[in-house]
Amino acid sequence: MRVILAEDSTLLREGLVRLLVEEGHEVVAAVGDAVSLMKEVEERMPDMVVVDIRMPPTHTDDGLRAALEIRKRWPQISLLVLSQHVERNYAAQLLASNAERVGYLLKDRVAQVEEFLDALERIHAGGAAIDPEVVRQLVIRTTHGDPLARLTPRERSVLETLAQGHTNTAIAQKLHISLSSVEKNLNTIFDKLDLSHTAGYSRRILAVLRYLES
Amino acid sequence: MLGFLYLLIVGTAMAPFLLWPRTRPGALAALASGARRLAGLDRARRFVFFGDRFPEHYKSSDQKVLRYLAIRSYTGMLCTIVVGLLGFGVILAAVLAMRLLQGRLDLQELLTQALLGGVLLFLDVQGIYSLAVLDARLARECFGPSERELLRQRIDELATSRAAVLQAVDAERRRIERDLHDGIQQRLVALAMLLGRARRSRGRNPEQVDALLHQAHQESQEVITELREATWRIYPSALDSLGLKEALSGVSERCSLPIRMDFEVDRVLPQTVETAAYFVVSECVTNAAKHSGATAITIRLALHGAVLVVRVEDNGTGGADPSGSGLTGLRSRVSALDGLLHIDSPLGGPTTITAELPCA
Repeated sequence: MRVILAEDSTLLREGLVRLLVEEGHEVVAAVGDAVSLMKEVEERMPDMVVVDIRMPPTHTDDGLRAALEIRKRWPQISLLVLSQHVERNYAAQLLASNAERVGYLLKDRVAQVEEFLDALERIHAGGAAIDPEVVRQLVIRTTHGDPLARLTPRERSVLETLAQGHTNTAIAQKLHISLSSVEKNLNTIFDKLDLSHTAGYSRRILAVLRYLES
Repeated sequence: MLGFLYLLIVGTAMAPFLLWPRTRPGALAALASGARRLAGLDRARRFVFFGDRFPEHYKSSDQKVLRYLAIRSYTGMLCTIVVGLLGFGVILAAVLAMRLLQGRLDLQELLTQALLGGVLLFLDVQGIYSLAVLDARLARECFGPSERELLRQRIDELATSRAAVLQAVDAERRRIERDLHDGIQQRLVALAMLLGRARRSRGRNPEQVDALLHQAHQESQEVITELREATWRIYPSALDSLGLKEALSGVSERCSLPIRMDFEVDRVLPQTVETAAYFVVSECVTNAAKHSGATAITIRLALHGAVLVVRVEDNGTGGADPSGSGLTGLRSRVSALDGLLHIDSPLGGPTTITAELPCA
């Protein structure tokens, strides 16, 4: 796929470019700030944009704002946002409009090359990739009376894996259970969380995340 | 007495004007200017008789002067009465002595009179003493900063410097976070990526593995160097182990510009002063090397009595911004120790930054 990278650390940017090229992707531009990112995206129309949230000019959330802008103007472009820390608020903003072809990963996840590349592929295929750490933090927030507290440990791990953006088949592989057992678990989870049965799993992620946000 | 008469006569004459809102300010000013003149006389009196020295340029408000005059008139009259009573007491004592000499006084009456006189004398002297103290205090309140004002000023100063210290601490933390995030963390992630790529290459492209591992090894060396420098920027541990002089020579070794250092401190300084002096020098040297285009820096540390004077001079283009984050942080650090920071950096240079740090 044709990728644009936006990352302010030269060292990391170079490393990412090499990695993507080795994997057979085409890096059409690699920039170090949000302003040049918008310019390059407009000119080159990539398939995928990988962007660091914290970038110049202000070193706060310039990258995220650029990503939201890209999503609004060119919804067909896949987005992978890299974050310094788990920020539920950022994840929510990113997934609020449309949880297809979008990913939110911790920046350090890049170091786990396989996971990173796998997430890229999942996003490119139309899915979503939410950092396991983000999901874990969302799920940990179980207080008394939280419907999540009613889930069994097995259901909980299914929900976590689902929220990361995996297909039912992948969930079954990851958790070493049968596909039918995954489907059964999912039905129970959605019953317990009072979620309507919507088709399309990215919408399910969105529903789950939104539910966890509430 | 004069004050009382003035207030009585002029005040009464002015009363209608004072009551009528439109003429009030003018009347008040007129009243006050007279009062000010009388108060001036009083100020001279305090100086001549009691040697009070008041600040030259202290100007008290009209309200204060009028209040002073009113209270002063009252205490003045009270004082006259008390002194009068003392005179009266002396006369009575003289009469008693006369009668005693003439033998027209029996013992019982003498004792009664002496006891009564003694008590009255004591009360009177006490009154005179209290009035004197009151007079001195009133004068201080009107003619100079009263103790309360001095205290308030000091409290304001402390509150300001405390807030500034907090800000400086936060700024410092932000800098440290940026240091770690922009430098070390990125390097470590890049290093992990190199290793990850090396592992992936094993099956597909074995000759690339060596090159990647070699790169990763170099990268890890650089992370170590970066980490060492970052920790030094956070706090130079040499300050504690080797002292200020050694820590400062470390600064000049790390600086790209030639530095001339005069270190004229012959005794051990308090830890806080040493730390502040170190950061003043290192911040100024960093600024000079980064922004000023200087070719040489002179550093001088000397003790003037109980004050350490740190002076950093460069021959650069000047125009240092005293409100910049680095210099603001320094100012807070210095003022937290009740010290002073002078920044002299005209456009075109040279820049001289002086810190005076009390060592008491």
